[in-house]
Formats: sequence, structure tokens, C-alpha cells
Amino acid sequence: MSIIQQHTAASLTDAWRTVNIDILTEDSSVNFDTSTLHPPQPEVSEADVRTLSTQVRQLLRGGDAEGALRGCLETPVYNGTDGAKEAHLQTIIEVLQSIKASDMTPLLKGIYAAPGGSELLDVLMKYIYKGMASGAPAAAGLKSPAKMTPQSTGFTQIGSRPGASNEPASAAMSVLLSWHEKLVEVAGLGCIGRTMTDWRRV
Amino acid sequence: MAYSKPAATKDWNQPPVAGPHLAPTDVNLLLYSVARSSGPQPKPANSFLRNIGPTQGKQQPLAVMSQSLRPYLQCVRSSLTAALTLSNFASQTTERHNVPEIEAQTSPEVVLTPLVIARNENERVLIEPSINSVRISIKIKQADEIESILVHKFARFLTQRAEAFFILRRKPIPGYDISFLITNFHTEEMLKHKLVDFIIEFQEEVDKEISEMKLFLNARARFVAESFLTPFD
Repeated sequence: MSIIQQHTAASLTDAWRTVNIDILTEDSSVNFDTSTLHPPQPEVSEADVRTLSTQVRQLLRGGDAEGALRGCLETPVYNGTDGAKEAHLQTIIEVLQSIKASDMTPLLKGIYAAPGGSELLDVLMKYIYKGMASGAPAAAGLKSPAKMTPQSTGFTQIGSRPGASNEPASAAMSVLLSWHEKLVEVAGLGCIGRTMTDWRRV
Repeated sequence: MAYSKPAATKDWNQPPVAGPHLAPTDVNLLLYSVARSSGPQPKPANSFLRNIGPTQGKQQPLAVMSQSLRPYLQCVRSSLTAALTLSNFASQTTERHNVPEIEAQTSPEVVLTPLVIARNENERVLIEPSINSVRISIKIKQADEIESILVHKFARFLTQRAEAFFILRRKPIPGYDISFLITNFHTEEMLKHKLVDFIIEFQEEVDKEISEMKLFLNARARFVAESFLTPFD
């Protein structure tokens, strides 16, 4: 069999040039198993998150904001379904929103001073970033069809202002931003560094 | 990937200037202001056009807005400061290559958790850190279609001159308007806090610039419409 006969349509095109051969090489760095970078985490079910959420709400109603915040930060959902992770995030955001701006710093200082408080604040930082990240793409999806309205040419300044229609979303963001600021004041920049480098992602 | 290294000037070694508003001594800032002064949208030298119509006094909300802007920019500042801890790291897949790991994505263990900072759904910053590079993507506020056009034109104008800005990425990440790529070579050449200041100042300026351009555009449209319709009066 001559070598010319081995040419096929597939080998004559240049599609094979775009194949990433590193993925096919078993000991390539591309195939590094990142699950080895963190210890295995216990799986948290959505039901557990819901029970915790009701407990936290009871604490909030009783006026124990610090206890409520501690309660949800002590059990971060590192390993669980998207539903469980989302529900836990909602619980934490609810707690954060119910705490007054003037109470933030003393509360954070109290948690930071307690044993193991630094880890709790790292978890809080992770959830603050997650909260800000979760608000963005969902709203972006909503926005694209709204932008196609033919009558709003942009010349009218009173006209369609998407920022005005989504007031609760941006209010939630500003709560998270002020928590972030206070948290950096108390726990320092290391808190952000650990959020970035920790492979246990919320 | 070749990096254009900036010519070594004594500016980088100067002590930091106190206060939040730094003099634009950075080469970057200087270039930025040069780029703005020769921007695609011509500005009126004697802005007689601005005196037409109810556009006067529209600048007022900017001062108020900067108050709500402050925690957002502060958050970007602290996150960037934390993310800009870069070290030299040679490529693990290709011998004698040194590529930004965040772009190459060939070593998952050195690419860190990306952070999103959002002020609202229209304004957000994505920081993607890795061992030797940080990619920062900014979504500039766009309240209506005119602003999206202006942002698009403005970002395009800047990215076409990307090599003059050293850290500007030629193409933004999908979903964002403009991206920067800071590598360990940049942090070795330039002062870290100046780089952070540059990003923050860029964000402040770009908002002002876009709303200014929009006001000017509206004023000009009004003027054109008026002068066009005068003969029919």
C-alpha cells in the first residue's frame, strides 16, 4: 500500500491543526487534577441548607445578628448541588442585608477576635464575591431583549433607563460593596488573597 | 508572546505621590490623556454648542454619583491590590516559553478563582488572577443605545492603540467592554500601586468621558436639527 493512498478528506483539510494535543497527553500539565488541591468536602444537601436557613431566620428575628451570621458562615456549601449553593448564598445575603451599616464593623471585629474567626471571614468574603458575580449574568440575559426596543433612540434622556427598573438588584450590590469595604478594613487584604487561592469554592 | 517593554524612565522610581488624585506622571496616563484629546469624537474648542438647549447643569449629578461610586472603586482597588502578586512562571507545556497563564490556560493549578465586582448589572469588573498574570475586564455603564455606541467606539479607539498602553488587551473578554492584561513583567517594570491607580482612574474617567460625549452629541443633534429646520419655519 503506497503512502499516498492513506490520504483521506480529513487529513487533507487543516482541521487537525486545531486539535489540542496537550489534552491527549496524559501527563501534560493541562490534565492536572485540581481536586488534589483541597481535601474532600462533605456533601451538603439542599434540605440541610433549608433547615439552616430557617434556624438563621429565627436567630435574626430574635435579634441575634452575630449568631445568625456565624451560623451560616460555619457551614459553607463547598460540595453540593447548584440549588444548595444558591440557597445558602441567598440566606447569607439576607442576613447581610438585615444588619445595619453602623453595626457592621463591631460585628466583624467580634467575629475576627473569636477563635477561628479569620476562617469565617474568609468564607464571608467568598460569599460576597459570589453574590456580586451571581447578580451580573442573570441580569445581562434579561437586558439583551429589552435593548432591542425600536422607539428608544437614546436621544431622550428620560426614556428607557435599565438601571432604574432594577433598583433592588443594585441595592443588594451596594450592601455587598459596603460589607466588602468593612471586611477588608477588619480582616485585611489577605482575606481577598485567600478567596482567590482557595480551591474550596462556594 | 512578545512583550513590549516600556522605555525605562525615572518616573517609575519616584516615590508615590500622596492623595487619591495623582498627577498624571505615568506614561500610561499621559498617553491616555493624549489619546483622549485626539479622540474620534471632536470636541468643540470654544464650546458654543454646549450653550444651546437644556444641557447646561447636567454635569451636576456626576458629583453626586461619585459618592455611590466610591465603595465600588474601593472594592476594585483592594481586590486588584490583592490580585497583583505576580511571579515569574515559565510555561509547563512548552519549553523555554513564558506565557501569561491566564491566557494560555494550560495549567489549571495556577489559575486562581476569578472575582467579579459589580455595582449593578450594567457596571462590573472581572478580575481573573493567575500565577504570572492578571486579566481585568471592565463593563462600562451603558444606560441606553447611544451610550453603548459611544462605549464601543471609545473602546475600539483605545484597543487599536493597545501597544501604546502596555497593559491594554487587544480584545475584550465577551460580555465586557475593555480588558487589561497585567503580567509579572509589567509589575517588575512599573510600580504596583500606580498600575492599580491607573485602572481606577481609567474607570472614573471613562464614565465622565462617555456622559460628556453623550451630552455633546445631544447638543449637536439639537443644533443640527434647529439649523436644518430654520428655512421651513
